[in-house]
Amino acid sequence: MTFTRRLFQTLAGATFGCVACAAQAHFQMLYVEDTAPQRGDKLEFALVFTHPFSGGPTLVMDKPRAFSQVSAHGSKTIDLRQYLRPVQWQSRDNQATAYRASIPRELMRSLGDHIFVLEPEPYLEAEEGLYIQQFTKLIVNVGGVPGDWAEPQGLPVEIQPLSKPYANWTGGVFRAVVLADGKPVPFAEVEIEYLNHAVDIEQNSFGQAAYVTAPQASFNAQSTYADAQGIVTLGLPRAGWWGIAALDIGATKTHKGKPLSQDAVLWVQVRDMAPGKDSGIAH
Amino acid sequence: MKPLGPTRLILMTAALSCCQAAFAHGPVFDCYLEHDDQVKCEAGYPDGSSAVGRKIRVQDARNKLLLEGSIGADNTYTFQAPAGDYTVLFLGGDNHDATIQSADISR
Repeated sequence: MTFTRRLFQTLAGATFGCVACAAQAHFQMLYVEDTAPQRGDKLEFALVFTHPFSGGPTLVMDKPRAFSQVSAHGSKTIDLRQYLRPVQWQSRDNQATAYRASIPRELMRSLGDHIFVLEPEPYLEAEEGLYIQQFTKLIVNVGGVPGDWAEPQGLPVEIQPLSKPYANWTGGVFRAVVLADGKPVPFAEVEIEYLNHAVDIEQNSFGQAAYVTAPQASFNAQSTYADAQGIVTLGLPRAGWWGIAALDIGATKTHKGKPLSQDAVLWVQVRDMAPGKDSGIAH
Repeated sequence: MKPLGPTRLILMTAALSCCQAAFAHGPVFDCYLEHDDQVKCEAGYPDGSSAVGRKIRVQDARNKLLLEGSIGADNTYTFQAPAGDYTVLFLGGDNHDATIQSADISR
């Protein structure tokens, strides 16, 4: 190996290492209240770039490059940008521009899986001098009829679920494949973060109180790696929302002359196994 | 006691119509109004089984048969909304029936 090449690899490693570091704990939220409604109805979205475990600080979003829905019948992709509207999102520590979207019932009536994809504008992390762009997916199922939840969406980077993201019990296990350009990414760096604050979607805000207290900072976002096949496996110890982010896996490494971290995010909703009213189980 | 909403009623109807052993494969069925008072109904099963070819019956308030058809290749069946109250019955096979009342069908 030549000195020049070794030097380049060292610099590249340092640069991309910093990208991954800086991208930690930033999470693009794509939030709805319920990913498994029994019947299709209008859907309220909150698109917030934030730190879900600590309930902020929230980062300013520019208008997304793309926000789309693959309908339950899978035959068409619907551009949802017309429904986006900027809002000021109140997180624990600050207020910042986020987006809301009201998706009409007409687009949500069909039974099955509705796949939502967000491609945000790259966010400039000014202090680090780099950009972060998190391609984010959320899957809503109407009625319980399965559809294309496991299908990749052809994104530059994405997390392909191997379990239904909308049908998970507390204590269950979730599996997914990290993809870049449609191919698995072996040993991809993955962060998992719990949405630790209530979301008041009507007030565009996080609740002040945290659901759980972390014993130490490294619990805020759990770090792991995909395996040699790009598969990431995680437990789901608590009901609510879990975000999965695979960091800096895109082929595009620069934006406007600065390093770019293209991350893939998938959100998973988890429910408690609440006893039925007539179950006879004390609760 | 909190009154049951239309969604719960639909699902309860479907659940009660199923034999218990086959409950995991009970049908999911819903209808909504499209343009020109066309009613579009969708059917499916939680295990992904196809509902294509399954019968649909539309009955008036006295259970008189108004229309009969089959679920198409896209898992839907569309018909002109009849005048007055009516019921749409999905015959899901193996007693997997589900019904929806016209009052629960909206845009």
